[in-house]
Amino acid sequence: MTALSTPITRIAPERLRSAWRVFWYGGRMSYGMLFNWARPSIYIPTLIGGPTFQLLFFAALGSYATNRSPAYFAIGNAVQVSAIAGVFGMTMAIANERWFGTLPAILATPANRVALFAGRFMPFVLNGLLVSLYAFALGFVFLGVRLAPGSLAVVGLALLVTVFACTAIGALQGAISLRLRDGLFGANLVTMSILLFCGVNIPLRELPGWMQVIGNLLPFTHGLEAVRQAADGAGLAQVGGLIGIEALIGIAYAVAAFALFVYLERSARANATLDVR
Amino acid sequence: MSSSRTLRLISFVTWFNVKMLLSSEFFILLTFISPLIFATLAFFLFRSGGGTAGQTLLYVALGAGMMGVWSTTLFGCGGAIAWQRWEGTLELLVNAPSRYDYILVGQTFGAVVFGFYGIVATLAWGVLLFGMPLEATFPLLLPLSLLAAIVSLGALGMLIATTFVLYRHANALGNLLEYPIWLVAGLLVPVATLPFWVRPISWLLAPTWGMEAIRGATIGADPPILAIAMCFILAVAYYVAARVTLVFVLAKARRDATLSLQ
Repeated sequence: MTALSTPITRIAPERLRSAWRVFWYGGRMSYGMLFNWARPSIYIPTLIGGPTFQLLFFAALGSYATNRSPAYFAIGNAVQVSAIAGVFGMTMAIANERWFGTLPAILATPANRVALFAGRFMPFVLNGLLVSLYAFALGFVFLGVRLAPGSLAVVGLALLVTVFACTAIGALQGAISLRLRDGLFGANLVTMSILLFCGVNIPLRELPGWMQVIGNLLPFTHGLEAVRQAADGAGLAQVGGLIGIEALIGIAYAVAAFALFVYLERSARANATLDVR
Repeated sequence: MSSSRTLRLISFVTWFNVKMLLSSEFFILLTFISPLIFATLAFFLFRSGGGTAGQTLLYVALGAGMMGVWSTTLFGCGGAIAWQRWEGTLELLVNAPSRYDYILVGQTFGAVVFGFYGIVATLAWGVLLFGMPLEATFPLLLPLSLLAAIVSLGALGMLIATTFVLYRHANALGNLLEYPIWLVAGLLVPVATLPFWVRPISWLLAPTWGMEAIRGATIGADPPILAIAMCFILAVAYYVAARVTLVFVLAKARRDATLSLQ
């Protein structure tokens, strides 16, 4: 019979091609299926409207309270709004597997866990960049944001690394949320903490010492400083160190997130709590 | 329904809703933690600009507290009817002998009363961490100012509840409307510093007058009589608008048989 004579196709999970497919297609699908905001009726008010008014609010408040230029606050918040996409997006992309009931099926597959986990970063990094670029454009038109033409590429690089780092902390939050009743509580707390500790509106040197320590351990602080300096004309030689630190912080959060994910998977299997809500 | 039974119904639903909100991590964050983060941010910003006078700190604490009240009102009331739908209680409540708008009044007041914790929290935060003095230029008017603010925000909450239900994703509207009202109502930035066309918009908003009433009683030079009066006038206008919208929405839902549809 034809069916019996057909050779059985096996895709060994350890093979690179299989891992690539999990990374590429799995990542894309996670955005469309697990990100609750990936529809215009939610995306536009939350990821376009919200950031618009956040920029205007802090530009008005900051320039009124401190007499600094609105552009200073516009740049800080234009970078920070990528956290709304990165942190909330990644939290949903991981934690929603549990809430939508697909986590046991995912964990029952022999799919490469690194590819499975890393693939989710890609759409949310792109989304964060998109939101941030929109906010920069808004700042350019209405709030006097100007970028030195010679260092646009450096600004872009710093922004990319910063958005990656914020997506990484979102991944950690997502892994933590696999055990929590309400994962978005932590995501809200992370985005608010970034607003307070990372020099978005208040220069880090003006914060008390303990707040500076927290700020230096969070994503955004170094990346945002690199963006600010590059916007003023600093080149890669001047801000390369800051971008490097930001990248290292992002990688550290991504590794911590993956380690926690693997630990929780093992623990859930051992304790039969995979589907417990 | 007698007025005493109506008051009993409203107060029971208010209390019940406060208890429900206390069990929600999201509302704990919104009411208990978020105002403290924004108050700290605002304290540092004003300190950075040299605004360390006691009155400035009080101005900031009250403004940040009112930001929390608005967030709780927005999210607590915006999703009020939608939650009843999800939980399957909307049909029962609409068809109960008690008037549904009274139930909704209790529910929205519950959110607003819960939200007013934000003001208490930011005041305590300011006193403990930033040495802010607690003083009131018109202490006798302060309770009336608070009552006026609660009533007007509660009525606005009811209007929000009845209009947001027409949009499938009420929380997304909440995400959209948090910052603009903080800005336009002059909670931390005086409305006078904003473009002139913003001012008429701010006059239509309960948070503007509620904030002005409370600030007037605490740090104002004159008694905030106008602000208190405006709170009550706006409350009546909001209630009438909410009632008309509610009648329309419920009639449409009954006609189209969509009362329980999500």
